[in-house]
Amino acid sequence: MIEHKSWIPVALSTALEPGTSAGTLVGGGELVVWRDTRGAAHVWEDRCPHRGMRMSFGFVRGDHIACLYHGWQYDTAGQCQYIPAHPTLDVPKTIKVPTYTAAEKGGIIWAAPSSEAAEAAIPVEDGEVVPVRSIYIDRPFAAVLAALTNANIPAFTGDTAPRFETIADGIVIVSTGADRLLIACQPFNPTRTALHLVIQGSAETYGGAGQKHFARWAETFRLLLETASTPVAEVA
Amino acid sequence: MPAITLYNYDLDENSFRVRLMLAMLKLEHATIAIDMFPGQEQTRPAMLAINSQGTLPVLVDGDLTLAGTEAILSYLAKAYDPARTWLPEDAAGFGRVQGWLHFSATMLENAKQARLQALFDTPGDETALRAAARKAFRIMDDHMTARHFDGADWFVGDKPSLADLTLFPSFALSRDFGIDHDEFPALRLWIRKFRALPGFFTMPGIPDYH
Ligand code: FES
Repeated sequence: MIEHKSWIPVALSTALEPGTSAGTLVGGGELVVWRDTRGAAHVWEDRCPHRGMRMSFGFVRGDHIACLYHGWQYDTAGQCQYIPAHPTLDVPKTIKVPTYTAAEKGGIIWAAPSSEAAEAAIPVEDGEVVPVRSIYIDRPFAAVLAALTNANIPAFTGDTAPRFETIADGIVIVSTGADRLLIACQPFNPTRTALHLVIQGSAETYGGAGQKHFARWAETFRLLLETASTPVAEVA
Repeated sequence: MPAITLYNYDLDENSFRVRLMLAMLKLEHATIAIDMFPGQEQTRPAMLAINSQGTLPVLVDGDLTLAGTEAILSYLAKAYDPARTWLPEDAAGFGRVQGWLHFSATMLENAKQARLQALFDTPGDETALRAAARKAFRIMDDHMTARHFDGADWFVGDKPSLADLTLFPSFALSRDFGIDHDEFPALRLWIRKFRALPGFFTMPGIPDYH
């Protein structure tokens, strides 16, 4: 379903509390990102095998996610374990939601669209991070990336101009002043792109004011891109 | 019969706002069902005699008859919330809550209209209404993103207020008119907190996770 060869960022880790789920898109395909009550994140196709409703509308109970519509429950492997209308039924193994390999690193939840991608390491460093936000921009992936690597991102600390290092397709490390940002881009659908922003630094330095500083930049960046009548790379 | 009577339509989100407030303040009341769709009963003579504006909800409390969702919410908070949580006393808090009540009556009106159009085929430009609704949700999500950086869980102050109560239904019901929650992470965290408040209950269109 997804044409992408490496790990894809789908959410900030802090945006998904234990026992909750959220929908998202990758290349227009619907995914559910959910976290079981023990804290592990899962990324699946967002389709209930019963009647095809979105699993992201459902709810998490322990290490199961239940579909909102008729309550079918699935375990962390995507296997249906319980059908309320047939409580004694030994559910056939064929009733299974397609799953992706999911992982968390650098403050972001990632999904591997293929087994090839899952074998590679997620290209970000470990270390202390301060989440900023995810922002959804009504512009295609390529246009957002082109604008991003030319963007004027004012530093929170220090004052040297931003430098950009693309470490994988759509994964950019920005050094601005004394600050280091990870900006991971998610190809949402053909016309929309999500950016997940994380500060690589300490909460002591960036908590509150630093987060607001970069969140405001992201909102301005979105506005510039969406209102640009000239090619985006020139204005951003 | 209790002193408070609510003229209500179950699928009307403004009626739901008042039902929620009544439940959260634990106020006994009588409910009179009005056939808004398809009957448009609120615009017929019998209802116009009670509320000449022809709108729902309408609240009657003793000698007082009130129309206008924001007015009703503000009245109930002022009359029945001695702790002054829902409508803060301090000038800045009061002003901020009024600001979001205004937002709910203006920018969020697009979301309300988009929903009525999807459910009841009321007139309006579908694309424009949905785009405007999405813009309103972005404003809310940006606001709550910034609030979370300050360690705050609510739109105003450190407790739920009328701001949260009036904003909740339109976002919670957005799937009725084809806007998903995917792009609003800060609002997802916020509605989860709101759903956990004492007295909370749902209406059709807002999932109830039994
Ligand atoms: S569609 Fe999921 S349980 Fe029926």
